[in-house]
Amino acid sequence: MTNTIQILSIEKTGKESSLQKEYNNKSIKIIDGYFFSTNLDDQKFTKISKLISNDVSQTILTKKNVNKVLSSYSNFNWVVEIKFLPGVTDNIATTVKEIIKDNLKSSFKSFELGSTKIILIKGRKEDITKISKNEANPLIQTIKIYPFKKYLNNFKKNQFKIEKVKLPKKKYSKKEINLNISDHQLSLIGKLGIEENDKSRRGTLGLDLESLKAIRNYFSTIKRKPTDVEIETLAQTWSEHCKHKIFSAKIDDIHEGIFKKYIKGATEKIIQLRKDNFCVSLFTDNAGGIEFNKDWIICHKVETHNTPSALDPFGGAITGIVGVNRDCLGFGKGAKPIANTYAYYLADPNKNYQLYRQKNNKDPMLPANFIAKGIISGVRVGGNCSGIPTPQGNVYFDDRFAGKPLVFCGTVGIIPKKIKGKLSHKKKANPGDIILMAGGRVGKDGIHGATFSSEELDPNSPVSAVQIGDPITQKKMSDVIIRELRDENLYSSITDNGAGGLSSSIGEMAKESGGFIVNLEKIPLKYNGLYPWEIWVSESQERMTLAVPPKNVKKVIKRFNSRGVEATIIGKFIKKEKAIVKYNKTEILNLDMEFLHEGYPKLNLKTSFPKIKKEKKKIIKKSSLIDKLHKLLSSPNIVSKEFIATQYDHEVQATSIIKPLQGEGRVFGNATAIKPLFDDEKSIALSQAAYPQYAETNPYDMAGCSIDTAYKNLIVSGANLKKIAILDNFCWCSSDEPDRLYQLKEAAKACYDYAVAYQTPFISGKDSMFNDFKGFDKTGKSVKISIPPTLLISSIGVVDKISHLTKITPDDDDILLVLGATRNELQDSVYSKIIGYEKSKNPVVNSKNALRTYKNFEKANKLRIINSAIGIDLGGLGIAVTKMAIASKKGLTIDLKLKNQISVDQFLFSETQSRILVSIKKNKLANFKKIFKASDYTIIGKCTGSDVIEFKDNKKIMRGKISDFAKSYKQNIRGL
Amino acid sequence: MNVLVLSGYGINCENETLHAFEVVGFKGKIIHINDLIQNPKQLNNYQVFAIPGGFSYGDDTGSGNAMAKKIMTNLYDQLIDFSLKDKLVIGICNGCQILINLGLVPSLNKKDAEVALIENKSGSYECRWVDVKVSNNKSPWLKNISTLSLPVAHQEGQFMIPINLLKSIKANNLIGLQYINHHKKLAKGQFPFNPNGSKDDIAALTNQNGNVLAMMPHPERAFYHYHIPNWQSKTIKKFGDGYKIFMNAKKFFA
Repeated sequence: MTNTIQILSIEKTGKESSLQKEYNNKSIKIIDGYFFSTNLDDQKFTKISKLISNDVSQTILTKKNVNKVLSSYSNFNWVVEIKFLPGVTDNIATTVKEIIKDNLKSSFKSFELGSTKIILIKGRKEDITKISKNEANPLIQTIKIYPFKKYLNNFKKNQFKIEKVKLPKKKYSKKEINLNISDHQLSLIGKLGIEENDKSRRGTLGLDLESLKAIRNYFSTIKRKPTDVEIETLAQTWSEHCKHKIFSAKIDDIHEGIFKKYIKGATEKIIQLRKDNFCVSLFTDNAGGIEFNKDWIICHKVETHNTPSALDPFGGAITGIVGVNRDCLGFGKGAKPIANTYAYYLADPNKNYQLYRQKNNKDPMLPANFIAKGIISGVRVGGNCSGIPTPQGNVYFDDRFAGKPLVFCGTVGIIPKKIKGKLSHKKKANPGDIILMAGGRVGKDGIHGATFSSEELDPNSPVSAVQIGDPITQKKMSDVIIRELRDENLYSSITDNGAGGLSSSIGEMAKESGGFIVNLEKIPLKYNGLYPWEIWVSESQERMTLAVPPKNVKKVIKRFNSRGVEATIIGKFIKKEKAIVKYNKTEILNLDMEFLHEGYPKLNLKTSFPKIKKEKKKIIKKSSLIDKLHKLLSSPNIVSKEFIATQYDHEVQATSIIKPLQGEGRVFGNATAIKPLFDDEKSIALSQAAYPQYAETNPYDMAGCSIDTAYKNLIVSGANLKKIAILDNFCWCSSDEPDRLYQLKEAAKACYDYAVAYQTPFISGKDSMFNDFKGFDKTGKSVKISIPPTLLISSIGVVDKISHLTKITPDDDDILLVLGATRNELQDSVYSKIIGYEKSKNPVVNSKNALRTYKNFEKANKLRIINSAIGIDLGGLGIAVTKMAIASKKGLTIDLKLKNQISVDQFLFSETQSRILVSIKKNKLANFKKIFKASDYTIIGKCTGSDVIEFKDNKKIMRGKISDFAKSYKQNIRGL
Repeated sequence: MNVLVLSGYGINCENETLHAFEVVGFKGKIIHINDLIQNPKQLNNYQVFAIPGGFSYGDDTGSGNAMAKKIMTNLYDQLIDFSLKDKLVIGICNGCQILINLGLVPSLNKKDAEVALIENKSGSYECRWVDVKVSNNKSPWLKNISTLSLPVAHQEGQFMIPINLLKSIKANNLIGLQYINHHKKLAKGQFPFNPNGSKDDIAALTNQNGNVLAMMPHPERAFYHYHIPNWQSKTIKKFGDGYKIFMNAKKFFA
């Protein structure tokens, strides 16, 4: 009899070697453990062990052999046992249960099991404590450290325990909330949540006093008290996360709000200016859609998952990526995800910031390197397991992300324009349609995610706000929808369950029919004991909500079930504009749809001009040009991100056509391309850009630079200038402060100006307004760390022909040219940060000149005049030149005998925007000159094919070996 | 000529795998494993059984294990039967891991799994292009091919083979593909040429008949010329190296 199965790899696993290396200790071994809620007899033990292990590479530990087997590795003395807290998604356990069920069929019915990681070490207790801190997160896992002897004893005496979710057996009775209370009491409800009978609070609702008063007024008009479910639902629906109140608020004299005026306004203006509208679906659906070719639409959506990733980096990031995949599945009738994108803005992983959420060194922020590693692997597992390529991304480091990392996850999808003769991007839940929930079950995970992501991270941030994605459950569900149900036109509408769970998805979808009735007791749960309001707002992942005509319901459910996916009827859509929720026949929510969606008090925001924190002059460190290049190349924001590119599968679906690592020398590119259809050579180019480092100096210019770079990178990659769309993701801080709102308004204004200038429409966007950390440092001093305002612009464009796709590698004897003028714009540059600067300006985009460059580039590229090209961005021309040489492994000479009033360093390191470094074949120069005016380019040198880069000025020649530059560029990022 | 491409539970390369077969002249169908379990007789309609890449069951309990157990419980005899006929079976990446776990390759002792695929030596997922040489050209899948340039994308691709078995594998000529370096010599375990630290640089194994091939690299992702890294700097005609594997399947039945 035993209640555990423990499995050991015979040979050293990759994980074991990396731990051994990291802790410089050869005596580390990892056991895969499974703890069962019941005892297994010998027969079952043998059978199940065999099912979940491999007898070639693994050993199964038994009471008899455990001591002997382990002592053959080392004389272990400490053990750490890491398992998930009850209720946290345990994907491995789910699989094991499924294997057991399939093989042992009915002989083994009711049991629980949990997967466990057991790490053994021979060393000091400090070492094991350190390992446990780096390998586990106390927010989602229990960590037990004990002596090896005790481990053996546990084994002998069956003392490994699995903890089940313990929820009190509670009978629900409808709870009415009295809102006729003092303002103070009212704001406590908003901040801490509804009070339970035992005086405890449920957790933040994120509702301000004004909103609570609006709720009070509504209920006094309809002459009854609100139920707890009603208040919870309103909190979800009205959250900043769902309603984007700041973007829609009146701000100064902008009555319609900055979203309508500057973002949507830009797109409307562009559509009006252009005769060739290629936008298909804008702002209203889960993603934005543009035309790909005559038969297909592509959509793109980028989300952030910042707060969850600060608390549980792996879980936060995996949920971020599989969540945005669902946005794609929920676009129109369901688009197939064909590419993921990512962008991480992180603190320096090599620093120890020592931040605490509470006084006296309590409740610490996770270490920066733990956060960075967790985020990188979360997106890896989410993307790779879902079979969606992840070609495009970037990482940026700055101390100001120490309190909150920014995690942007994006997905591109594709859908036929018409399905069974009907436009696929249009959907409508009809009165009488059944509400079907498909996918995973509902648990306590992610309760209050939407309300809390709108709040600052402080000690009251709820732990149940963390979810862990399960990509395989989602993949199974996604396959049924995209491959089978959609094309048979079996449902009338679909949307994903993300922030706010069912309350949000059904609430939104019901706008199409009028209203809805939901029966909460029908919803399948992960475990019993959830309150109705919890079921209603839970953000348990991997669920889609479908509106299915009654005649198709049986067929749809059967199809889901036959693919191993659960699907349940939970209510129906109605014509009446009412939101109605019942629990065991008791009506617990009954709101007017109008009030539910529009009843929140509109904000009235004022901005004020901020004090500009001017970057102080920094004395330029004396060093050679070659040395400066090495310093910049090896700095974390420029150094190659190859280690991410190779762990993210970018080849799956066989669409990768411009890969993240480019040239023989493998340079991490700033744009990538996929060819999504077998029978059309049209491709999709992707890029993105953000310049948080420019934001404090001038938010308007910062936004201009982001748009320019994201747009330029696609032009450089070969996209059709008229088929580029962009997405905005604003991540702001302290958005209740007038000077931060001023910066927001300025950035949004630039969005309008530059999008309209380039005629590149916004098709989708999202904002996250309170990325601040309020807590304490190690001395107990209270600190507030705000991220720098960050605007990520993601660009998506259509490349008409494969032959338009460019490369970044020049050939021997190519002439090198810079398109666009270079100005002294070193302020806030990578150079200024590392080397210093004297007198300089921040980069400002001149859209008129830029557009001329881009149009000419496009023309020259189509005429095959351009042989290679790279967009110039961080680190300026010097870095672009070096990257070209590293990628091609071909030497270049650069002429620095400059004619204009600019120093060598300014010329090489200024981050002046809208510039492209290109190479052309000698014999194409005449043709080149027919397109470009002399003032639009500078010839700077040529490709020699040697093994060095040479920089020549009037006096001397400076040389650096390409292989040395490559070494600097490919250095590991310290701490990762 | 018909190919059955398996899908379900996290397999994810079925579309591109089917496409590759179709381009060389097969007719084919993607079939969900549950449908196949419901009606295993439909296997008779097919000459090729392909298990594509993916992440069946999220690699939990070891890549390919859970799916192999599902097949073992529900389809094992039918699949063995298929492999003993004059038909072809291929497992790519996750498919390779499944075939290895099923023991369909190398199938020397006719017991479950004889070989294991364990975590890459680097400890991380490796998505990169590698060069491999064909070590066994008696397999119909690999005839008349000398070397191939293909991508790998896996976390667990390191072949682990007990020493005696390795001897018989070599004696029986069952090593399908081996990783080579830039000089076309065996990679000798050197990263990144051998991306996972695989024993004897093994990238693929076959059964004794050679009709069952379990390979870690992805031929379907190296099918067209534009799949190849830096294709713009190269003079490649329409197809990449992966095409050759699918063409060989066609030739076998032609």
